[in-house]
Amino acid sequence: MHSLLPFGRWLLVLCVIFASQVQAAAINTSSGWNLPPGVTSISQEIFSLHMIIFWICVAIAVVVFGVMFWSLFAYRKSKGAKPANFHENTTVEVIWTAVPLLILIAMAIPATATLKKIYDTSDADIDILVTGYQWRWHYQYVEEDLSFFSNLGTPRSQILGEEDKGDFYLLEVDNPLVVPVGKKIRFLFTSNDVIHAWWVPDLAIKKDTIPGFINESWTIIDEPGTYRGQCAELCGRDHAYMPIEVRAVSQETYDEWLEEQRQMLAEDAAGSQREWTMDELMDRGKGVYNTYCAACHQADGSGMPPAFPALKNNPMMITEEGRDAHIDAVLYGRSGTSMPAYSGTLSVADIAAVITYERNAWGNDAGDRVQPSEISEMLSDD
Amino acid sequence: MLQVIKSVLAAFLGVQSEKNRQQDFQSRSPWPFIVTGVVMTLVFVLVVASVARWAAS
Ligand SMILES: [Cu+2]
Repeated sequence: MHSLLPFGRWLLVLCVIFASQVQAAAINTSSGWNLPPGVTSISQEIFSLHMIIFWICVAIAVVVFGVMFWSLFAYRKSKGAKPANFHENTTVEVIWTAVPLLILIAMAIPATATLKKIYDTSDADIDILVTGYQWRWHYQYVEEDLSFFSNLGTPRSQILGEEDKGDFYLLEVDNPLVVPVGKKIRFLFTSNDVIHAWWVPDLAIKKDTIPGFINESWTIIDEPGTYRGQCAELCGRDHAYMPIEVRAVSQETYDEWLEEQRQMLAEDAAGSQREWTMDELMDRGKGVYNTYCAACHQADGSGMPPAFPALKNNPMMITEEGRDAHIDAVLYGRSGTSMPAYSGTLSVADIAAVITYERNAWGNDAGDRVQPSEISEMLSDD
Repeated sequence: MLQVIKSVLAAFLGVQSEKNRQQDFQSRSPWPFIVTGVVMTLVFVLVVASVARWAAS
């Protein structure tokens, strides 16, 4: 047994070095190797649960592998060790069954306490309905009668590699979700088409959005800031292109933002009545086209035939006779193809503008305008 | 009877000594073990359910 002592000491030193390395990596959360602690009390609670369980696992590993390596070394064959030859030992078996059971129960108690908090969505100040779409998020502020789509904000030129990628490549949107700090926000999750998942690591929220079901979660954000996330349930071709951007702001900034949104809605409503010029329609149409259409039909209208037909020189879009079919396709989609209906997604001004744009861009020369009022009339006829 | 309950508990845990196993297989009928097993499983489910209900309240 005299050789055991230096080995035991060596093993201990090794364990200490290993543990200090692991601890350094674990505490340095910005290293990217660990779970982020997040910015809410729940996310920080989840983080400490994760660390407690991590250290329990480390301790178990040290004990189990320590005993294993020590046995391998101390009772090696070259020292004349003889294997024991017995069949069973009920006491040892009961111990190695009961100890893990007790460890699991000990871990379940704090975890259950946190879970109960996570599911307590009562007494919320603000309710927001989050709806997943292929491939964008829709946010509805239930008490405010305000809703909007949140689309990928990264320009296509960055995706195609024609331009350098920005700092928040594929993690930026056109209309972020804006919420006030210090308020309890209840999220209701559902989907319009397939299963998506709304995942923002800093808020420790990752919820499936399922068509026909409502899932719930809540958060209170203390620190103002921008918190980013992604869809976490494979939902089709543009799964990676529907990020989440949550902006937590002071109550005053939030109120100002709400007012701004209301004004924009009012302007939009007024805009659907008046006559628009060609330039106005083309300008707005280009933006709408690049957000909603260019992923399939391409920014230059060349499409990806046969799945996504070219719009450039498309007979429907360069002749007077094709006009009605063109409007119909955008409003109601085309059954049997992946062309969706946009009547429920886009405002009448957006629809009129994008149709006008498609009829007059890339050398298409239909020359006609589609007015928002014309679209509202068609929709109210239904 | 006590022997049957002990053996069912041992089966729940997954550990049984060879001596007890030999003794169990002396029994003529398997029915006491089956009935006790089913009853104790129901009791176990009820205990877990009420613990969960208590924890959630
Ligand atoms: Cu998705």
